[in-house]
Amino acid sequence: MKDTVIHATNTIAIRHEMRNIARNLLEIQAVDLILGWKKGILPNKSAPAFIHRPDQVDDLIFDEFCYHNLTKFLLGCPDRQDRIADNEDRLKTAIFVKGCDSRSLIGLIQDNQITRENVYIIGIDCPGLKEEHNTTILAKKCETCYTATPVEYDILIDSPDKRPENPNGLKGFQAHRDLAKIENMPPAERGAYWQQMFQSCIRCYACRNVCPVCSCKECCFDQTLPNWVGKGNNTSDNGFYHLVRAMHVAGRCVSCGECERSCPMHLPVMLLNSKLGLSIEELFDEPPASMNFDVTATLNHFKPEDPEEFM
Amino acid sequence: MVNSLDPTCNTTPEPMTPGSTTPNPTPLEISAAELTVPQNTSAASAKDIASDWEPKILVFACQYCTYAGADLAGLSRLQYPTTTRVLRVPCSGRTNPQFVIRAFQKGFDGVLVAGCHPGDCHFTTGNYFTRRRYLLMTRLMEFIGLDPRRFRVCWISGSEGPKFQQVVTELTDTIRPLGPSQKLWDEGGISS
Repeated sequence: MKDTVIHATNTIAIRHEMRNIARNLLEIQAVDLILGWKKGILPNKSAPAFIHRPDQVDDLIFDEFCYHNLTKFLLGCPDRQDRIADNEDRLKTAIFVKGCDSRSLIGLIQDNQITRENVYIIGIDCPGLKEEHNTTILAKKCETCYTATPVEYDILIDSPDKRPENPNGLKGFQAHRDLAKIENMPPAERGAYWQQMFQSCIRCYACRNVCPVCSCKECCFDQTLPNWVGKGNNTSDNGFYHLVRAMHVAGRCVSCGECERSCPMHLPVMLLNSKLGLSIEELFDEPPASMNFDVTATLNHFKPEDPEEFM
Repeated sequence: MVNSLDPTCNTTPEPMTPGSTTPNPTPLEISAAELTVPQNTSAASAKDIASDWEPKILVFACQYCTYAGADLAGLSRLQYPTTTRVLRVPCSGRTNPQFVIRAFQKGFDGVLVAGCHPGDCHFTTGNYFTRRRYLLMTRLMEFIGLDPRRFRVCWISGSEGPKFQQVVTELTDTIRPLGPSQKLWDEGGISS
Protein backbone atom coordinates (compact mmCIF):
# COMPACT_ATOMS: atom_id res chain seq x y z
CA MET A 1 0.00 0.00 0.00
CA LYS A 2 2.69 2.46 -0.89
CA ASP A 3 0.23 5.30 -1.41
CA THR A 4 1.62 8.72 -0.80
CA VAL A 5 5.04 10.26 -0.80
CA ILE A 6 5.70 13.63 0.79
CA HIS A 7 8.98 15.35 0.03
CA ALA A 8 10.92 17.00 2.82
CA THR A 9 14.18 18.79 2.19
CA ASN A 10 15.82 18.61 5.60
CA THR A 11 15.39 17.41 9.20
CA ILE A 12 13.30 20.43 10.18
CA ALA A 13 11.00 19.80 7.25
CA ILE A 14 10.73 16.11 8.21
CA ARG A 15 9.70 17.12 11.72
CA HIS A 16 7.20 19.60 10.33
CA GLU A 17 5.65 16.97 8.06
CA MET A 18 5.55 14.41 10.90
CA ARG A 19 3.56 16.78 13.07
CA ASN A 20 1.24 17.72 10.21
CA ILE A 21 0.48 14.12 9.38
CA ALA A 22 -0.02 13.21 13.05
CA ARG A 23 -2.30 16.17 13.74
CA ASN A 24 -4.35 15.43 10.67
CA LEU A 25 -4.75 11.74 11.52
CA LEU A 26 -5.96 12.54 15.03
CA GLU A 27 -8.26 15.34 13.95
CA ILE A 28 -10.06 13.27 11.33
CA GLN A 29 -10.14 10.42 13.89
CA ALA A 30 -8.49 7.92 11.63
CA VAL A 31 -6.29 6.74 14.47
CA ASP A 32 -6.45 7.02 18.25
CA LEU A 33 -2.80 6.43 19.06
CA ILE A 34 0.39 7.48 17.33
CA LEU A 35 3.73 5.90 18.17
CA GLY A 36 6.66 8.21 17.50
CA TRP A 37 9.73 9.72 19.07
CA LYS A 38 10.18 12.73 21.33
CA LYS A 39 13.16 14.51 22.83
CA GLY A 40 14.70 12.52 25.68
CA ILE A 41 15.64 13.84 29.11
CA LEU A 42 19.34 13.14 28.59
CA PRO A 43 21.37 14.68 25.78
CA ASN A 44 21.84 12.55 22.68
CA LYS A 45 18.86 10.41 23.55
CA SER A 46 15.41 10.33 22.09
CA ALA A 47 12.52 8.55 23.71
CA PRO A 48 9.37 6.84 22.44
CA ALA A 49 6.31 9.09 22.37
CA PHE A 50 2.68 8.03 22.67
CA ILE A 51 0.47 10.65 21.09
CA HIS A 52 -3.25 10.52 21.89
CA ARG A 53 -4.40 14.10 21.35
CA PRO A 54 -3.73 16.72 18.66
CA ASP A 55 -2.16 19.08 21.23
CA GLN A 56 0.57 16.50 21.90
CA VAL A 57 1.88 16.28 18.36
CA ASP A 58 4.41 19.07 18.85
CA ASP A 59 6.41 16.62 20.99
CA LEU A 60 7.23 14.59 17.90
CA ILE A 61 10.74 14.79 16.54
CA PHE A 62 13.04 12.88 14.27
CA ASP A 63 16.78 13.16 14.81
CA GLU A 64 19.88 10.99 14.58
CA PHE A 65 19.20 9.41 18.01
CA CYS A 66 15.80 7.89 17.27
CA TYR A 67 17.09 4.38 17.84
CA HIS A 68 13.89 2.93 19.24
CA ASN A 69 12.17 0.40 17.10
CA LEU A 70 8.59 1.19 18.02
CA THR A 71 6.98 -1.85 16.44
CA LYS A 72 7.21 -3.91 19.61
CA PHE A 73 4.83 -1.47 21.31
CA LEU A 74 2.12 -2.62 18.92
CA LEU A 75 2.18 -5.95 20.79
CA GLY A 76 2.43 -4.34 24.19
CA CYS A 77 -1.28 -3.87 24.73
CA PRO A 78 -3.10 -7.18 24.25
CA ASP A 79 -6.33 -5.60 25.56
CA ARG A 80 -6.04 -2.97 22.94
CA GLN A 81 -5.59 -5.61 20.24
CA ASP A 82 -8.66 -7.47 21.51
CA ARG A 83 -10.70 -4.31 21.65
CA ILE A 84 -9.68 -3.51 18.14
CA ALA A 85 -10.53 -7.02 17.00
CA ASP A 86 -14.00 -6.85 18.60
CA ASN A 87 -14.93 -3.43 17.31
CA GLU A 88 -15.92 -3.08 13.69
CA ASP A 89 -15.59 0.71 13.82
CA ARG A 90 -12.10 0.35 15.14
CA LEU A 91 -9.54 3.05 15.06
CA LYS A 92 -6.09 2.25 13.84
CA THR A 93 -2.76 2.80 15.48
CA ALA A 94 -0.34 4.94 13.54
CA ILE A 95 3.35 4.25 13.79
CA PHE A 96 6.45 6.04 12.55
CA VAL A 97 9.03 3.68 11.08
CA LYS A 98 12.56 3.88 9.78
CA GLY A 99 13.73 1.39 7.15
CA CYS A 100 14.83 -1.26 9.64
CA ASP A 101 11.68 -0.82 11.74
CA SER A 102 9.50 -1.37 8.69
CA ARG A 103 11.20 -4.73 8.14
CA SER A 104 10.43 -5.87 11.66
CA LEU A 105 6.85 -4.70 11.14
CA ILE A 106 6.64 -6.96 8.08
CA GLY A 107 8.05 -9.78 10.21
CA LEU A 108 5.32 -9.28 12.82
CA ILE A 109 2.62 -9.19 10.15
CA GLN A 110 4.04 -12.39 8.61
CA ASP A 111 3.95 -14.02 12.04
CA ASN A 112 0.28 -13.00 12.38
CA GLN A 113 1.07 -10.93 15.44
CA ILE A 114 -0.52 -7.79 14.07
CA THR A 115 -2.91 -7.13 11.22
CA ARG A 116 -1.81 -4.87 8.44
CA GLU A 117 -5.24 -3.17 8.28
CA ASN A 118 -5.02 -2.15 11.95
CA VAL A 119 -1.84 -0.17 11.49
CA TYR A 120 -1.24 3.07 9.66
CA ILE A 121 2.43 3.13 8.74
CA ILE A 122 4.21 6.45 8.34
CA GLY A 123 7.63 5.81 6.80
CA ILE A 124 10.61 8.12 7.14
CA ASP A 125 13.65 8.05 4.89
CA CYS A 126 16.45 7.45 7.34
CA PRO A 127 19.71 9.42 7.03
CA GLY A 128 21.48 6.94 9.33
CA LEU A 129 21.70 7.28 13.09
CA LYS A 130 24.70 8.45 15.11
CA GLU A 131 26.44 6.83 18.06
CA GLU A 132 25.21 8.51 21.20
CA HIS A 133 28.68 8.71 22.76
CA ASN A 134 30.25 10.11 19.60
CA THR A 135 27.88 12.06 17.43
CA THR A 136 30.27 12.31 14.52
CA ILE A 137 30.25 8.63 13.64
CA LEU A 138 27.51 6.51 12.15
CA ALA A 139 25.85 3.99 14.45
CA LYS A 140 27.28 0.51 13.95
CA LYS A 141 23.96 -1.02 13.00
CA CYS A 142 23.44 1.61 10.29
CA GLU A 143 26.64 0.75 8.44
CA THR A 144 25.10 -2.43 7.16
CA CYS A 145 21.69 -0.94 6.43
CA TYR A 146 19.87 -2.75 3.64
CA THR A 147 17.08 -0.28 3.27
CA ALA A 148 17.02 3.37 4.30
CA THR A 149 13.58 3.75 2.73
CA PRO A 150 10.90 1.75 4.55
CA VAL A 151 9.82 -1.29 2.58
CA GLU A 152 6.16 -0.86 3.56
CA TYR A 153 4.22 2.31 4.33
CA ASP A 154 0.94 4.11 3.88
CA ILE A 155 2.62 7.46 3.64
CA LEU A 156 6.31 8.19 3.22
CA ILE A 157 8.28 11.27 4.16
CA ASP A 158 10.94 11.35 1.51
CA SER A 159 14.25 13.05 2.17
CA PRO A 160 17.31 13.74 0.00
CA ASP A 161 19.59 13.08 3.01
CA LYS A 162 18.72 9.42 3.16
CA ARG A 163 21.54 7.00 3.54
CA PRO A 164 22.67 5.22 0.39
CA GLU A 165 21.54 1.62 0.51
CA ASN A 166 23.99 -1.19 0.89
CA PRO A 167 23.20 -4.18 -1.26
CA ASN A 168 26.33 -6.14 -0.34
CA GLY A 169 25.36 -7.47 3.05
CA LEU A 170 27.66 -7.48 6.02
CA LYS A 171 30.96 -7.78 4.18
CA GLY A 172 33.42 -4.95 4.62
CA PHE A 173 31.75 -3.33 7.61
CA GLN A 174 32.44 -3.06 11.31
CA ALA A 175 29.98 -5.80 12.17
CA HIS A 176 31.84 -8.09 9.80
CA ARG A 177 35.24 -7.06 11.19
CA ASP A 178 34.04 -7.82 14.73
CA LEU A 179 32.88 -11.22 13.57
CA ALA A 180 36.16 -11.92 11.80
CA LYS A 181 38.11 -10.98 14.92
CA ILE A 182 36.36 -13.68 16.91
CA GLU A 183 36.40 -16.22 14.11
CA ASN A 184 40.17 -15.83 13.82
CA MET A 185 40.76 -16.59 17.49
CA PRO A 186 41.93 -20.11 18.34
CA PRO A 187 38.94 -22.18 19.54
CA ALA A 188 40.02 -22.16 23.20
CA GLU A 189 40.33 -18.38 23.24
CA ARG A 190 36.99 -18.06 21.49
CA GLY A 191 35.39 -20.26 24.14
CA ALA A 192 36.94 -18.14 26.88
CA TYR A 193 35.68 -14.98 25.20
CA TRP A 194 32.11 -16.21 25.19
CA GLN A 195 32.38 -17.59 28.68
CA GLN A 196 33.42 -14.16 29.85
CA MET A 197 30.51 -12.60 28.05
CA PHE A 198 27.99 -15.05 29.47
CA GLN A 199 29.46 -14.57 32.92
CA SER A 200 28.79 -10.83 32.67
CA CYS A 201 25.21 -11.33 31.53
CA ILE A 202 22.68 -10.72 34.31
CA ARG A 203 19.88 -12.37 32.31
CA CYS A 204 17.54 -9.41 32.71
CA TYR A 205 15.91 -10.49 29.43
CA ALA A 206 16.01 -6.90 28.16
CA CYS A 207 17.33 -8.11 24.80
CA ARG A 208 14.39 -10.48 24.49
CA ASN A 209 11.78 -8.00 25.69
CA VAL A 210 12.88 -5.29 23.31
CA CYS A 211 13.33 -7.57 20.31
CA PRO A 212 10.65 -6.92 17.69
CA VAL A 213 10.76 -10.49 16.39
CA CYS A 214 10.58 -12.14 19.85
CA SER A 215 6.81 -12.15 19.82
CA CYS A 216 5.82 -15.43 21.53
CA LYS A 217 2.94 -15.01 23.97
CA GLU A 218 4.77 -17.28 26.39
CA CYS A 219 8.51 -17.41 26.00
CA CYS A 220 10.23 -20.77 26.53
CA PHE A 221 12.43 -19.13 29.17
CA ASP A 222 9.37 -18.18 31.21
CA GLN A 223 7.92 -21.67 31.21
CA THR A 224 8.20 -23.80 34.32
CA LEU A 225 7.42 -27.06 32.52
CA PRO A 226 9.77 -27.77 30.87
CA ASN A 227 12.08 -25.62 32.90
CA TRP A 228 14.74 -24.71 30.37
CA VAL A 229 16.71 -22.30 32.51
CA GLY A 230 16.92 -21.98 36.28
CA LYS A 231 15.97 -18.91 38.23
CA GLY A 232 19.55 -18.40 39.35
CA ASN A 233 22.06 -16.44 37.38
CA ASN A 234 24.88 -18.71 36.21
CA THR A 235 27.12 -18.81 33.19
CA SER A 236 25.76 -22.07 31.91
CA ASP A 237 22.14 -20.98 31.78
CA ASN A 238 23.10 -17.55 30.47
CA GLY A 239 24.96 -19.22 27.61
CA PHE A 240 22.02 -21.51 26.97
CA TYR A 241 19.73 -18.49 26.88
CA HIS A 242 21.85 -16.55 24.40
CA LEU A 243 22.38 -19.48 22.05
CA VAL A 244 18.72 -20.44 22.04
CA ARG A 245 17.62 -16.86 21.54
CA ALA A 246 20.04 -16.52 18.64
CA MET A 247 18.56 -19.64 17.04
CA HIS A 248 15.00 -18.45 17.66
CA VAL A 249 15.53 -15.18 15.84
CA ALA A 250 17.76 -16.71 13.15
CA GLY A 251 16.44 -15.74 9.74
CA ARG A 252 14.02 -13.24 11.26
CA CYS A 253 16.48 -10.79 12.84
CA VAL A 254 16.34 -7.50 10.94
CA SER A 255 19.52 -6.12 12.56
CA CYS A 256 17.69 -3.22 14.16
CA GLY A 257 20.25 -3.33 16.99
CA GLU A 258 17.72 -2.97 19.79
CA CYS A 259 19.13 -5.90 21.78
CA GLU A 260 22.57 -4.37 21.97
CA ARG A 261 21.24 -0.90 22.72
CA SER A 262 19.11 -2.13 25.60
CA CYS A 263 21.76 -4.33 27.22
CA PRO A 264 22.59 -2.85 30.64
CA MET A 265 25.89 -4.73 30.70
CA HIS A 266 26.86 -3.48 27.22
CA LEU A 267 27.45 -6.99 25.92
CA PRO A 268 27.93 -7.58 22.17
CA VAL A 269 24.58 -9.38 21.90
CA MET A 270 24.33 -8.64 18.18
CA LEU A 271 27.41 -10.75 17.41
CA LEU A 272 25.54 -14.05 17.57
CA ASN A 273 22.77 -12.68 15.36
CA SER A 274 25.27 -11.22 12.89
CA LYS A 275 27.05 -14.56 12.74
CA LEU A 276 23.83 -16.36 11.87
CA GLY A 277 22.90 -13.59 9.42
CA LEU A 278 26.21 -13.95 7.66
CA SER A 279 25.87 -17.74 7.57
CA ILE A 280 22.42 -17.35 6.01
CA GLU A 281 23.89 -15.02 3.39
CA GLU A 282 26.57 -17.56 2.58
CA LEU A 283 24.42 -20.69 2.65
CA PHE A 284 21.04 -19.78 1.23
CA ASP A 285 20.36 -17.61 -1.77
CA GLU A 286 17.80 -15.34 -0.11
CA PRO A 287 17.06 -11.67 0.46
CA PRO A 288 17.68 -10.39 4.00
CA ALA A 289 14.94 -11.12 6.55
CA SER A 290 11.51 -9.50 6.11
CA MET A 291 12.33 -7.42 3.04
CA ASN A 292 8.93 -8.22 1.54
CA PHE A 293 5.76 -10.15 2.27
CA ASP A 294 6.51 -12.92 -0.24
CA VAL A 295 9.49 -14.56 1.44
CA THR A 296 8.93 -16.14 4.85
CA ALA A 297 11.66 -16.44 7.47
CA THR A 298 14.68 -18.53 6.50
CA LEU A 299 13.97 -21.39 8.87
CA ASN A 300 10.26 -21.45 8.01
CA HIS A 301 10.80 -22.77 4.51
CA PHE A 302 13.42 -24.72 2.58
CA LYS A 303 14.68 -25.48 -0.88
CA PRO A 304 15.46 -29.05 -1.95
CA GLU A 305 18.71 -27.74 -3.42
CA ASP A 306 19.99 -26.34 -0.12
CA PRO A 307 23.66 -27.11 0.59
CA GLU A 308 24.17 -30.71 1.72
CA GLU A 309 26.79 -31.28 4.41
CA PHE A 310 25.27 -34.17 6.30
CA MET A 311 25.63 -37.13 3.93
CA MET B 1 18.34 -38.95 36.76
CA VAL B 2 15.11 -38.43 38.68
CA ASN B 3 15.81 -41.64 40.56
CA SER B 4 18.94 -40.27 42.12
CA LEU B 5 16.86 -37.70 43.98
CA ASP B 6 14.68 -40.38 45.48
CA PRO B 7 16.12 -41.49 48.86
CA THR B 8 14.40 -44.87 48.61
CA CYS B 9 16.18 -45.66 45.40
CA ASN B 10 19.41 -47.49 46.16
CA THR B 11 20.16 -48.90 42.75
CA THR B 12 22.19 -47.00 40.24
CA PRO B 13 20.31 -46.24 37.03
CA GLU B 14 20.60 -48.98 34.44
CA PRO B 15 22.75 -48.05 31.47
CA MET B 16 20.53 -47.52 28.45
CA THR B 17 22.59 -49.84 26.30
CA PRO B 18 22.61 -53.46 27.42
CA GLY B 19 25.99 -54.91 28.22
CA SER B 20 27.64 -51.62 29.02
CA THR B 21 30.48 -52.13 31.44
CA THR B 22 32.03 -48.71 31.19
CA PRO B 23 32.27 -47.01 34.57
CA ASN B 24 31.33 -43.37 34.87
CA PRO B 25 34.19 -41.22 33.72
CA THR B 26 36.11 -39.44 36.45
CA PRO B 27 35.59 -35.69 36.13
CA LEU B 28 38.82 -34.04 35.18
CA GLU B 29 40.16 -30.72 36.27
CA ILE B 30 39.87 -28.41 33.29
CA SER B 31 40.47 -24.73 33.74
CA ALA B 32 37.64 -22.39 32.86
CA ALA B 33 39.57 -20.91 29.97
CA GLU B 34 39.91 -24.34 28.43
CA LEU B 35 36.34 -24.64 27.22
CA THR B 36 37.44 -26.31 24.05
CA VAL B 37 40.36 -28.66 23.91
CA PRO B 38 42.90 -27.17 21.50
CA GLN B 39 43.59 -28.89 18.19
CA ASN B 40 46.79 -30.74 19.18
CA THR B 41 45.47 -32.57 22.19
CA SER B 42 47.41 -35.79 21.87
CA ALA B 43 50.41 -35.10 24.12
CA ALA B 44 49.01 -32.80 26.77
CA SER B 45 45.67 -34.31 27.58
CA ALA B 46 46.37 -37.96 26.75
CA LYS B 47 47.86 -38.54 30.17
CA ASP B 48 44.93 -36.79 31.84
CA ILE B 49 42.30 -38.93 30.18
CA ALA B 50 41.74 -42.12 32.11
CA SER B 51 42.67 -45.12 30.03
CA ASP B 52 39.22 -46.66 30.31
CA TRP B 53 37.38 -43.42 29.58
CA GLU B 54 34.82 -43.62 26.80
CA PRO B 55 32.95 -40.62 25.41
CA LYS B 56 29.24 -40.50 26.10
CA ILE B 57 27.31 -39.93 22.89
CA LEU B 58 23.69 -38.91 22.59
CA VAL B 59 21.95 -39.86 19.34
CA PHE B 60 18.71 -38.17 18.38
CA ALA B 61 17.31 -40.86 16.09
CA CYS B 62 14.32 -40.26 13.88
CA GLN B 63 11.69 -42.93 14.47
CA TYR B 64 11.18 -43.92 10.85
CA CYS B 65 14.74 -44.14 9.53
CA THR B 66 17.60 -43.87 11.97
CA TYR B 67 15.89 -45.67 14.82
CA ALA B 68 15.09 -48.52 12.42
CA GLY B 69 18.69 -48.34 11.21
CA ALA B 70 19.98 -48.61 14.76
CA ASP B 71 17.59 -51.52 15.29
CA LEU B 72 18.97 -53.21 12.19
CA ALA B 73 22.51 -52.67 13.44
CA GLY B 74 21.52 -54.43 16.65
CA LEU B 75 19.69 -57.28 14.88
CA SER B 76 22.67 -57.77 12.61
CA ARG B 77 24.91 -58.10 15.69
CA LEU B 78 27.00 -55.13 14.57
CA GLN B 79 29.16 -53.90 17.43
CA TYR B 80 29.00 -50.21 18.17
CA PRO B 81 30.20 -48.27 21.23
CA THR B 82 28.16 -49.19 24.28
CA THR B 83 28.38 -45.65 25.60
CA THR B 84 25.94 -44.50 22.92
CA ARG B 85 22.53 -43.38 24.13
CA VAL B 86 19.82 -43.48 21.49
CA LEU B 87 16.90 -41.11 21.97
CA ARG B 88 13.98 -41.64 19.63
CA VAL B 89 12.26 -38.60 18.16
CA PRO B 90 9.25 -38.62 15.80
CA CYS B 91 11.24 -36.84 13.12
CA SER B 92 14.67 -35.26 12.97
CA GLY B 93 12.74 -32.01 12.60
CA ARG B 94 11.55 -32.52 16.17
CA THR B 95 15.09 -32.04 17.41
CA ASN B 96 14.94 -28.54 18.73
CA PRO B 97 18.39 -26.87 18.86
CA GLN B 98 17.68 -26.46 22.57
CA PHE B 99 17.91 -30.24 22.99
CA VAL B 100 21.43 -30.25 21.58
CA ILE B 101 22.66 -27.36 23.68
CA ARG B 102 21.06 -28.93 26.75
CA ALA B 103 22.82 -32.26 26.06
CA PHE B 104 26.20 -30.51 26.02
CA GLN B 105 25.23 -28.46 29.04
CA LYS B 106 24.45 -31.64 30.98
CA GLY B 107 27.78 -33.19 30.07
CA PHE B 108 27.43 -35.33 26.97
CA ASP B 109 30.73 -35.54 25.12
CA GLY B 110 29.19 -35.75 21.67
CA VAL B 111 25.80 -35.36 20.03
CA LEU B 112 24.56 -36.91 16.81
CA VAL B 113 21.34 -35.78 15.17
CA ALA B 114 20.25 -38.35 12.62
CA GLY B 115 17.25 -38.67 10.35
CA CYS B 116 16.01 -39.82 6.98
CA HIS B 117 17.79 -38.84 3.82
CA PRO B 118 16.33 -35.70 2.21
CA GLY B 119 13.32 -36.79 0.19
CA ASP B 120 12.61 -39.83 2.38
CA CYS B 121 11.00 -38.10 5.35
CA HIS B 122 7.89 -39.85 6.69
CA PHE B 123 6.37 -36.39 7.03
CA THR B 124 7.59 -35.43 3.54
CA THR B 125 9.54 -32.32 4.44
CA GLY B 126 10.67 -32.51 8.08
CA ASN B 127 14.31 -33.23 7.40
CA TYR B 128 14.66 -30.34 4.94
CA PHE B 129 13.86 -28.03 7.83
CA THR B 130 16.32 -29.97 9.98
CA ARG B 131 18.98 -29.45 7.37
CA ARG B 132 18.55 -25.68 7.24
CA ARG B 133 18.42 -25.43 11.01
CA TYR B 134 21.56 -27.44 11.64
CA LEU B 135 23.55 -25.87 8.82
CA LEU B 136 23.22 -22.70 10.92
CA MET B 137 23.54 -24.45 14.26
CA THR B 138 26.88 -26.12 13.43
CA ARG B 139 28.29 -22.72 12.52
CA LEU B 140 26.97 -21.12 15.68
CA MET B 141 28.38 -23.87 17.90
CA GLU B 142 31.78 -23.50 16.29
CA PHE B 143 31.57 -19.74 16.67
CA ILE B 144 31.05 -19.94 20.42
CA GLY B 145 34.07 -22.18 20.81
CA LEU B 146 32.60 -25.67 20.94
CA ASP B 147 34.74 -28.17 19.07
CA PRO B 148 32.81 -28.89 15.85
CA ARG B 149 33.99 -32.51 16.00
CA ARG B 150 31.72 -33.11 18.97
CA PHE B 151 28.53 -32.38 17.08
CA ARG B 152 27.40 -34.21 14.00
CA VAL B 153 24.31 -34.38 11.83
CA CYS B 154 23.90 -37.34 9.51
CA TRP B 155 21.28 -39.00 7.32
CA ILE B 156 20.91 -42.70 8.13
CA SER B 157 18.09 -44.65 6.56
CA GLY B 158 16.28 -47.69 7.95
CA SER B 159 18.35 -50.06 5.84
CA GLU B 160 21.68 -48.49 6.76
CA GLY B 161 22.50 -50.46 9.90
CA PRO B 162 26.19 -50.65 8.96
CA LYS B 163 26.22 -46.89 8.39
CA PHE B 164 24.79 -46.32 11.86
CA GLN B 165 27.52 -48.50 13.30
CA GLN B 166 30.16 -46.69 11.28
CA VAL B 167 28.99 -43.16 12.11
CA VAL B 168 28.68 -43.79 15.84
CA THR B 169 32.03 -45.57 15.96
CA GLU B 170 33.70 -42.77 14.02
CA LEU B 171 32.21 -40.14 16.29
CA THR B 172 33.40 -42.03 19.39
CA ASP B 173 36.87 -42.51 17.94
CA THR B 174 37.07 -38.80 17.08
CA ILE B 175 35.99 -37.66 20.49
CA ARG B 176 38.04 -40.12 22.57
CA PRO B 177 41.35 -38.24 22.10
CA LEU B 178 39.60 -34.91 22.77
CA GLY B 179 38.75 -35.95 26.31
CA PRO B 180 35.60 -35.26 28.27
CA SER B 181 33.64 -32.25 27.14
CA GLN B 182 33.48 -29.60 29.78
CA LYS B 183 29.85 -28.95 30.46
CA LEU B 184 29.05 -25.77 28.64
CA TRP B 185 30.23 -22.93 30.87
CA ASP B 186 29.58 -24.85 34.03
CA GLU B 187 30.54 -23.13 37.26
CA GLY B 188 30.74 -26.07 39.58
CA GLY B 189 27.57 -27.95 38.90
CA ILE B 190 25.05 -25.22 39.62
CA SER B 191 23.01 -26.28 36.65
CA SER B 192 23.62 -30.02 36.76
